[in-house]
This record gives sequence, structure tokens and C-alpha cells, in this order.
Amino acid sequence: MSPLSLDCKETFRRLDDYLDRELTPEEQAAVARHLEICAGCAGEFAVEGRLLDALKAKLRRIAAPAGLLDRIAARIAAER
Amino acid sequence: MAADEFTALLEPALSRAYTLALHLTRNPADAEDLVQDAALLAYRGFGTFERGTNFRAWFLRIVTNTFLSARRKKRPETDAVSLDDPPNAYLQRQALDRIADAGSLADGLSGGDVVRAVVEGLDAEQVSRAIGELPDEFRAVASLYFLDDLSYQQIADTLAIPVGTVRSRLHRGRALLQQRLWRMAEDYGLVSSALAGRRQA
Repeated sequence: MSPLSLDCKETFRRLDDYLDRELTPEEQAAVARHLEICAGCAGEFAVEGRLLDALKAKLRRIAAPAGLLDRIAARIAAER
Repeated sequence: MAADEFTALLEPALSRAYTLALHLTRNPADAEDLVQDAALLAYRGFGTFERGTNFRAWFLRIVTNTFLSARRKKRPETDAVSLDDPPNAYLQRQALDRIADAGSLADGLSGGDVVRAVVEGLDAEQVSRAIGELPDEFRAVASLYFLDDLSYQQIADTLAIPVGTVRSRLHRGRALLQQRLWRMAEDYGLVSSALAGRRQA
């Protein structure tokens, strides 16, 4: 059986799932093959991937309010 | 001591848990209350936590469920979701449109350049607020996705919804988030600056 072949539209429809590694191995490989030969799609996927990474990094930098752990520890101590 | 072990595990998970709570409650004071309530529940149920597994994922699940359980008691979901969904890669689409509108003034500028300027120009609190503004059904899924490296199946297990629902909510939620980020960037002049920067270069 020949491997799955995707055009630009079919590839782009799989953008989110591909970046999240949620496609089947066959589909993941088919998207990767298309990106190797299509600079336009490869560029768009790369921008989207960097965007997601940047948003995750920003959100993961937000700190809990000072003293929150102490206030939790005090409530736990009051329970015991 | 179970309490010492619990707080030692909780400490590195606390900031992500607070950010998740902020997205869910849309309010710093309510977010702190939610994290405190969830922590107390988690401590009471600490005996069920499997040592060696991912404490943060376990605790984020408790934060989410504590919020959902309290909300179910208060009111049903009321957020209406427009059927007019933005397309995926929304920021890139908008960036390319603006570059096309600018014509030769934006020569050499790529969609990626404008997207990068938008993301770099928005701070963490602004991005967080944009997630908090998502309709209820997308907020929890998107927040869990951005704050922890969970698979769709793990998010589905956390929220007790089918994995297909996670997939569709996450795809739509991401597109809606990008739409909000673009509007913020326009309001703050980040898009104009990106295009003007090229003109001045």
C-alpha cells in the first residue's frame, strides 16, 4: 500500500493535531512528508509552533501570590 | 509527615494552579480562594495520590473539578458561543492581510514577523486575561493545554468529557484566543508598530 499523500489544504486541516502530536503515526508522517516538500506550509507550521511555545512560556511564568503557600499550610494545620 | 510531604509537592505546582484558577474564575481573589479550597480537598484526599505519579496534573485536576462543582451549584453555563468561528492560524491570516494592505510599504515583512511582534508585545497577564475571556466551555480545556503538557486524552480524563470534545474545543478555543490576542494587539498599536518598524528600517 502506498503511503498517505496530502495536499496543502489537507495538511493545513491537520495543523493543530500535528503540532500537538495527536495524529495517528501514519498521518503524522504524511504531514511531515508534505512539509519537507512545501516551503509555504512548512513556514506556516513553524510560525504556529513558535507562537504556541511562546504563549505557553508566557503563561507558565505567572507566579502565585506571595504567601499563598503559607496560608494553605495554616489551613491544613488548623485541620489536623 | 503527610502535611510536610504534601506542601513540598504543592509548592512547585502552585503557580500553575493559581494561573489555571485565574483563568477559570476570572478574578484574582476568587482564584486564590479556589486554590486554597482545592488544596484542602487535595490534602484530605492525599492518601489516594499515587506516589511517583505527576502531582501537578493530579492537583490541576482537583482545582478544575472544585471549580466546576462549585459552579454547577451556582448557575448553569450561560456563555453563548458565536457560530461565526475564526479560522485556525488566525494571527497569521490577519498578519498577512495587513501586510497585503500595506503593499510595498511592508516589503520583506513576513506574517511570522508580525506574529512575533504581537506575541512579544503582549505580556503574560494580557495573554492570561485573553484566556480568561474565552467562553466557559473552551476556558478549562485551553488553560489545561497551555499550562501543562497534557495529551488530549489526559485533558479529557481531567474534565470527564470525550477526547473528541477536547479536540474540537481546543481547536476552536485556540482560534478564539488568537482572535482576542489580535484585537488586543490592534488596540495597543502593536500591529501598526510592527508595520511601521519595517517602514522605518
